[in-house]
Amino acid sequence: MFRAKFKEAVICFSNPRVTLPYPFGPGAELPEGFRGKITVDQTRCIACGGCANVCPSRLIRFYDEGERTRMEFILDRCTYCGRCAEVCPEHAITMTLEFENSTDHKEDLYIEQELYMATCARCGRCFETENAIDKIPVRRHREGRNFVGPSMPHGGPRARQRE
Amino acid sequence: MHSTGYCQAVEKAGGIEVPRRARYIRTIILELERIQSHLLWLGIAAHIIGFDTVLMQAWRIREPVMWLCEKITGNRKLYGINVVGGVRRDIPKAMHPELMGVLGRIERETKAVLDAVVTDTTLLARLANVGVLPNKDAIAYSLLGPTARGSGVAIDIRVDHPYAAYGEVETNVMVETSEDIWARTVVRIKETLDSIRIIRDCLAMMPEGPIQAKITEPIPPGRIGQSSVEAPRGETHHYVITGEDNRPYRWKARAPTFQNLQGVPIMVLGETIADVPIALGSIDPCFSCTERLETVDVRSGEVKVYTKADLFRLCKERWSKR
Ligand code: SF4
Ligand code: SF4
Repeated sequence: MFRAKFKEAVICFSNPRVTLPYPFGPGAELPEGFRGKITVDQTRCIACGGCANVCPSRLIRFYDEGERTRMEFILDRCTYCGRCAEVCPEHAITMTLEFENSTDHKEDLYIEQELYMATCARCGRCFETENAIDKIPVRRHREGRNFVGPSMPHGGPRARQRE
Repeated sequence: MHSTGYCQAVEKAGGIEVPRRARYIRTIILELERIQSHLLWLGIAAHIIGFDTVLMQAWRIREPVMWLCEKITGNRKLYGINVVGGVRRDIPKAMHPELMGVLGRIERETKAVLDAVVTDTTLLARLANVGVLPNKDAIAYSLLGPTARGSGVAIDIRVDHPYAAYGEVETNVMVETSEDIWARTVVRIKETLDSIRIIRDCLAMMPEGPIQAKITEPIPPGRIGQSSVEAPRGETHHYVITGEDNRPYRWKARAPTFQNLQGVPIMVLGETIADVPIALGSIDPCFSCTERLETVDVRSGEVKVYTKADLFRLCKERWSKR
């Protein structure tokens, strides 16, 4: 009995306080690859819909509004699984180290973006391109330069007009 | 745990072969989960009987395991490591020394704490010969996991129906025959130490290769898959019927607490009220797995039972208000 108590006391004394002063001081260091709140790089996204397809919480929404595609990320339901970042072909989504996401305002956990889509000259529908090279003009188009190049499938609207 | 069960069920339904390396990584994660779960339980059980020294020490020992999991998978608790067809992250060679270091440390420290408390009469007075669950009742009520193994029932899905890498790595079933809470405690501590050995073996035996199967075809609808996994609390079963568009049509999971709870009335029969919390705690209950809630209004004595459908409706109402 006393031997046991003595051994317990030794263990307790040889391991002094291990709790960190968090949140008043720094917490434990986060490792590389930690899955925190997501960020979306709008200049990279091609609105392919891959992230919305895999998101288990179904929190990524797409609204097809003619030449624009509006995307909503309602992150209050995010499980931080990181599937969206994993499947994104353009690496537009990254998981940050941010984990202090509790908030009184739902808007803090809301991301909205609008993307101008390239238009197909034949059918007039907005389209996503098929291969990596074709994505380049789409991306530049996105950045406001309105580039229409010969590598666009079906020529693109202005190329058509010139013909 | 559950993600492994679900993925295995879908893999069975779709006839997907998981690469060997992925199966080893799954085993390592499952065993890390068992270590942290058992250490957590040890702390809580000690807390229930008012022995907070063990609570502090068990949780101190446990914390490095959580950090390790965070490093391997990207999160302390919601690992998200499994996908249908394999695992999402590899455990590279560079991480092995750290893993081994942490394992060595928790093994040493768990043994030290164990060595100190086994002869502690206050602890034994609260655990030995308390909450007795006779062997025949454990079998009659189909109890699972450490609860059954503490009553001398040698069942363990890892050995009985091997999955992941358990068919290749030596796995021991820890059985105790004294049928009381102390037996369940000893089973869990022995399993913790055995888990450490399993992870070491896995790291040594882990083959090179891919960690995800190439899945080119959608999984056909209407297939049935079932899988069982030995969770820290006992058996977890997952049943899946595949549907259109690579999505499940039906999915049912049965967690072990639902089964183990049936043994609690026998454990507390004839015991003092003070022993009820620790008897209940000894099955490591997780009430969220039971899909049913009973509330008692102490003033009016009114009893209200919420079924799964009621809970679902309440959740929906709450969500629609937001
Ligand atoms: S997967 Fe990437 S590129 Fe595709 S819509 Fe999502 S963020 Fe945009
Ligand atoms: S991290 Fe997971 S839950 Fe969150 S938005 Fe991405 S896919 Fe959806």
